[in-house]
Amino acid sequence: MQFGRGKPSAGAFFDSDFSTLDSVLAQALLHGLQGKNDCRVAIVTMSRPNLAVAGFTDMVERYYRGPAGNFAQVPPIGMRTAGQSGATSPAFTEPFALKKLDGSPQFVNHVKLVRDTGDPNTLFRNYLEAQYDKNGFFILAGPATNLAALLDFRGAKELIATKTNYLVAACNIEADVAAAKKVFAEWPAPIYLVDAAIPFPGASIAKDFVAVNPDNPMIAAYRAWKSAPSDVPAPAMVATLYAARPKEGYFKVSDPGTIAVQTDGRAAFTPSPQGKHYRLTADPEKKDKVVQTWVELASAKPVLPQRFRPPAADDKKDDKKPATPAK
Amino acid sequence: MITPKALPRRTFLRGLGTAAIGLPFLDAMAPALRASSVPGKAPVRMAFFYVPNGQIMDSWNPSYEGKFQELPRTLKALEPYKSDMLQIGNLTHNTGRALLDGAGDHGRCCGSYLTGIQVKKSLVEIKNGTSFDQIVANEIGKQTRFASLELGMEDARQAGDCDSGYSCAYTNNLAWRSETQPMPPILDPRALFERLFGTGQPMTPEERLRQAKYRRSILDFVTEDTRKLESNLGPTDRRKMDEYLSSIREVERQIERAEKDNKQIDPHMDKPYGVPADFAEHFRMMSNMIAIAFQADQTRIVTFLMTREGSSRAYREIGISDGHHPCTHHRNQADLMEKVRKINEYHVQQFAGFVEKMKSTKEGDSTLLDNSMLVYGAGLSDPNAHLHEDLPTIILGKGGNNFKTGRRLLARRETPMCNLFLTMMDRMGVPTDHFGDSTGRLAGLDMEGLDLG
Repeated sequence: MQFGRGKPSAGAFFDSDFSTLDSVLAQALLHGLQGKNDCRVAIVTMSRPNLAVAGFTDMVERYYRGPAGNFAQVPPIGMRTAGQSGATSPAFTEPFALKKLDGSPQFVNHVKLVRDTGDPNTLFRNYLEAQYDKNGFFILAGPATNLAALLDFRGAKELIATKTNYLVAACNIEADVAAAKKVFAEWPAPIYLVDAAIPFPGASIAKDFVAVNPDNPMIAAYRAWKSAPSDVPAPAMVATLYAARPKEGYFKVSDPGTIAVQTDGRAAFTPSPQGKHYRLTADPEKKDKVVQTWVELASAKPVLPQRFRPPAADDKKDDKKPATPAK
Repeated sequence: MITPKALPRRTFLRGLGTAAIGLPFLDAMAPALRASSVPGKAPVRMAFFYVPNGQIMDSWNPSYEGKFQELPRTLKALEPYKSDMLQIGNLTHNTGRALLDGAGDHGRCCGSYLTGIQVKKSLVEIKNGTSFDQIVANEIGKQTRFASLELGMEDARQAGDCDSGYSCAYTNNLAWRSETQPMPPILDPRALFERLFGTGQPMTPEERLRQAKYRRSILDFVTEDTRKLESNLGPTDRRKMDEYLSSIREVERQIERAEKDNKQIDPHMDKPYGVPADFAEHFRMMSNMIAIAFQADQTRIVTFLMTREGSSRAYREIGISDGHHPCTHHRNQADLMEKVRKINEYHVQQFAGFVEKMKSTKEGDSTLLDNSMLVYGAGLSDPNAHLHEDLPTIILGKGGNNFKTGRRLLARRETPMCNLFLTMMDRMGVPTDHFGDSTGRLAGLDMEGLDLG
């Protein structure tokens, strides 16, 4: 909750199926960005019914947010209850077997049943209502299933339009073509579709993450991830970094246009000045800076949420500018 | 027993000008009920007992779910009635949260409790929504003498700042007729008595004086009607009538005693003349009259603000001289938390007395409790953190055999409280698609062991 003057940093709504190491790392990155006051993590939701994965993501949220306290809530993980549960990597379960020196578990799983999670639509609605106008964004890292369902939820379109500036989508279109079609056709805010291939150096988890904070749950997850690649394809991290720091110029942004999802899952981009869709691509010159920022932020120690922190100095200067991202 | 000529359900014992006493459900009325839209079925009643300033949750929630075993400390007094109780966890009132409006959780949580609307933060421009009890009352209220009763025990101020810029209208009312019209609670037992058993209006001072002068009971005014009626009743109905009229007389005596004791009014509690100083006595009188009103089908809907949100009442009768609200900002200090626990227990103990009254009152083959939904709850869970999720909520009674009681049901986290209200509206015969911030009906109330997991 905010009791200070002015707007706090933008509220982040992160939705993923958490089927890739990239999406798990993006959750850590998001909290690293929150620690720098670039955003506030509103809620994290999952687009498949998998309690083991929900348990891990819930643990990550608790790890970064700290315990509920005065005026601070730890919202549940939103989890879709329909559809296929999908694969469960040991990365989501093995960390819970780790023990501290005193024999107590290093990480505790608070999600045992569906009721320990929340309904994604209810959470989206409740936490959108808590944002200042045009002071939030969505990140999609996976199929668009949850976001498509949200569009049919009572009053949601108006809330999205009022409260958020954009959606940055590392969208797995093939996983749910119908949902992707609906989102690109009906989402009432600009969409930035990630089309950037910048890999995250997996080796840095064992090296840099351990050096900064050996308790980071990402370390355990990475070690348990079967056949973890040394270079992790990282569209979700691209989406997350761009969403929270759109003005940094980390990536190239196309001119506006319209993205139409075809029945076969292809996304066709048609340039148009009136369009509200953009393609987000890698800038080879910024690649090293992007990777360095990812490592620094995703490995950072938790910074417990504070009641209110004024926006960063740079943002203050831009208060009167429209909140649309720079290109 | 069925008398040859059916007695209408809405029969009153009338007296000279000042008395109109409704009757309990009698066997003689059975044919009349069979002719009603729901043959042979007693009406479902609902009541809300709101306690302020949250609860110490580790003493409210048991460590288990499903069938009740030993009740947690705060609910101990309800142990004899646990087979009639349903505890629901994880219900949330998002509209009680700040949602950019800053401080004022007490004002918001009470204001929005039955409306599911975020109230407007203002001292003068009052804006809320119609509470769901009033939506139900508008639909079914014509079937009873009073569409609803709004009751309380402390502070009926309707203006002023009661919490960080929120008008007292939000903290001192549960029921809202419209978005701008709260329904102030009756605090004075005498005023409630006269409303229930008089002509519906409070007596004038002259009438009250005349009655007091001759030390006459309100029952004395209806003696002739009573005699006539009883001559046509069978022995079972005569016994019921005797018990019923005795309970009215007992409440009347309690009020008279309290009025004699006015000098003892607690200076820390804002009360009008005639309101008893003793909290337990006050509650007993008010709740006895609720039971009588339900029994006589005078109303089917009651809201009861036990004390107001943010109340700083001291509970010296249980050895707590600190104010309730300051204690709830306990910062996890054990001594303060213990005081709050004792207050929480004390409130539940009073409520348990009412539950006993409802359970011991027969209604046909069942009891008044069986045909009721008595919701006891708060608009905050952890008062120290001002949390609006996992709101303390128990329901006593089966709502006309609609609820499977005797267990703790955990809803999915962040489930809107309005989902429960939507479900209760169904049970009251007023189904609707949406209320407040509801997202659907609350599943599992009438099923055993619902677990989506």
